[in-house]
Amino acid sequence: MSFTRVLPLFSAAFALIYVLAEQANIALVTYHPRINDWDAWTQPARSGPAMYWFGWIGTAFLGATLASVASLPFSSRMKGVAWIGWVVPLLVILAFFYLMRGFFLR
Amino acid sequence: MFTVLLIVHGLCAVALLGAITHQALAVWWPARAAGGFVTRFRGVPGAGYTNAIIVLFVLTFLLGAVIYPPYRLVVRTYLENARLWTANGSFELKEQFAAIGLGMLPFYWFVWRQPLDEALAFSRRATAAILCFIVWFGFLVGHVLNNIRGLFGQ
Repeated sequence: MSFTRVLPLFSAAFALIYVLAEQANIALVTYHPRINDWDAWTQPARSGPAMYWFGWIGTAFLGATLASVASLPFSSRMKGVAWIGWVVPLLVILAFFYLMRGFFLR
Repeated sequence: MFTVLLIVHGLCAVALLGAITHQALAVWWPARAAGGFVTRFRGVPGAGYTNAIIVLFVLTFLLGAVIYPPYRLVVRTYLENARLWTANGSFELKEQFAAIGLGMLPFYWFVWRQPLDEALAFSRRATAAILCFIVWFGFLVGHVLNNIRGLFGQ
C-alpha cells in the first residue's frame, strides 16, 4: 500500500469529478460576494450573483480524496496506469472547450 | 487592496510562466550543445523547477481566488452588459483550467520527484506541457481582461 501511487488516480478523479460538478452544479459551498456570505451545498443566489466555483473545487477535492483512499489497498497495481493522471485532465480540458463553445459562437 | 493583490497575482504568474516554460522546453526540446538565448533557455535541468512551480501555482491560484469575487461583481457584469462574450467565455475557460491544473499538481509532483523514474518519462513531458498550456492560457486571458477592465474601476 503506497500513498504516492494513488496520486495519478487523485488527479484523474479530480478532473472528472470537477467537470461533472460544474455541469450538474454540485457545489460543496456557495459564496455570495455581494453580501460576503457562505452557504453549504448549492444554493440559489440571495443578493447579487452566487459563486459556485469554490464549491466545485471542494466537491472535486473531496471526491478525489475519497476515491484515492478507497483505492489504497490496490495501489500496488497502479504503476502501470499512471498515464490516467494526465490523460483524463487533458480530455476534460478538451471537453470544456466544447462545453463552453456557446460563448464563442454567438 | 484588490488592485495590489491583482498586481501581485500578475507578478507571481510571470514567475510561474517563466519556470514552467523553462521546464517544458527543457523536457520537450533539450539542448544538446551550447548556443544562443533560446538554447540556453531550454538547456536547464527541468526537475529543479518542480517545487518552485508547485509553490508558484498554488500561490497564484490562491491570489486569483481572493480577487475573483470583485471580478465577478464588477468586471464580469461589465462584460455581460457590453456583450463581450468571447472575453467572458475566455475567463470561464481560464477558471476551469486553473482548477484542473490545481488537481494535477499531486500527479505532477509524483512524476517529477527525484530520482526521476524512467518509466514515467512521457508522463513528465505531458504534465509539463499541459501545465504550461494552462499557465499561458490563464496569463494571456487575465492580461487581456485586465486591459478591457481592470479592478481600478470598481
